[in-house]
Amino acid sequence: MRYLFLLLVSFTQLSCSIQLDPLYHTQSYVFGTLVDISIYGEKEPEAQFIASEITRQFQAIHNRLHAWKPSELNGINKTFAEGKPKLIEQDMADMIADASQRSLQSEGLFNPAIGNIIHYWGFQSDDFPAHTPDKAELSALLAQHANMSDIVLNQHQISSKNPHVKLDLGGYAKGYALDVGLKILQEFHVQNALINIGGNVIAVGQHGDRPWTVGIQHPRKPDAIATVALGSGWAIGTSGDYQRFFMLDGKRYCHIIDPRTGYPAQGTQSVTVLIPPSKDAGVRSDVSSKPIFISEPARKAEFAKKMEVTHVLIIQENGEILASPAMQKQLNWLDKEAQTRVRTLE
Amino acid sequence: MFGRLSNFKHFPKPLWGDWLVIGFSLGLVILSFFTLWSQQPATTLRIRTGSTVFGEFSLMQTKSLKIPGKIGVSAIDIQQGKVRFKQSPCNSQYCVHQSWLQHAGQVAICIPNQVSIELIGAVPTMDTLNY
Repeated sequence: MRYLFLLLVSFTQLSCSIQLDPLYHTQSYVFGTLVDISIYGEKEPEAQFIASEITRQFQAIHNRLHAWKPSELNGINKTFAEGKPKLIEQDMADMIADASQRSLQSEGLFNPAIGNIIHYWGFQSDDFPAHTPDKAELSALLAQHANMSDIVLNQHQISSKNPHVKLDLGGYAKGYALDVGLKILQEFHVQNALINIGGNVIAVGQHGDRPWTVGIQHPRKPDAIATVALGSGWAIGTSGDYQRFFMLDGKRYCHIIDPRTGYPAQGTQSVTVLIPPSKDAGVRSDVSSKPIFISEPARKAEFAKKMEVTHVLIIQENGEILASPAMQKQLNWLDKEAQTRVRTLE
Repeated sequence: MFGRLSNFKHFPKPLWGDWLVIGFSLGLVILSFFTLWSQQPATTLRIRTGSTVFGEFSLMQTKSLKIPGKIGVSAIDIQQGKVRFKQSPCNSQYCVHQSWLQHAGQVAICIPNQVSIELIGAVPTMDTLNY
């Protein structure tokens, strides 16, 4: 009993006391998903103002890039279909040029030009029903060969050599918005913040005296599989088959379409990438995981390299878990059983 | 003060009963670490609709809630330490399929109806979720 008090002291230290910290947290729904903004260390009125400014700009981006409602992007799609040129804003031209470059880098596995195929599967909708695919219809859509290389940009003028190009920046816009959010935080000299747009996250500074901690969703359980400490300027993004999907005859059809087949990509449950600080960390966190997700198992490491991703975690449909050596160092596993199945991605 | 500390030199040799207490307590600490730290049980449920907090509720009760959202009413069940979306007006029913949540940090979101439920424990386990 004489030693009991020593153990009680250590137990008390373990069960930390709750401390109230100057954390402002707000949620909203933009881009058809949840936007979560945390700002640490600012007075609440300032934090509230900055968060609402970020949300306002996100809404503006969403309105411009909406893929299935009247928007600036759909205006461009309309002129593509009519075979006409269109004058566009400089930032829109930059965005499309950047998306084209990334499509090239991914050998076409990231292909925002296949809006017609995404629409066919019903994923251009807030709430989509199960949909039986028709092989002939899909073959016809694939034969349209819509590619980003069809787009011709001449300063502010845009046109497409292929009338079937229909831009859908669903795999780009959230990452782009993260970079915009980061710029706003910097303009307001915010030292510590975390922005989460539908699971894509970017960090600034830290949460008090510790780094921001981000959980990585288990693709088949309602828990986080692991956490990572997200350093300042780092971004994290996941492509998963569990957010937007439907089940048909026991088969899962997810929203990530393989542009080579026109069918939803199969065989992968999730791909998570960690992106080091850079001016395009948000975009890279959104785009880079897609080609890795879509590519066949033997080529995933190759596509990680092509997309310049050093930190990657892949969970395959067969339960196999692959992680790059750099990613393994960052992961704090919560699911200990999953941890035993990790193999090094080579 | 220092005089009293020097008495540690003369601390008696532990008896078998002391080792029993030490062993039991260490076991308790290790068990608590894994249950409270990695899968900490939640104590509170926070429900949000849109950008506003609808309310915070103790998980230690049995209660059915009807939450008005963007497209209809979400039915949420609290049952002594766990919570679930019981019914939802959305087509996909992802929120309902997530079934029971019971650990701190777990989140279920009905995006079409803009209703989210989040479980909170004594110690925050993470700041946000990547999905």
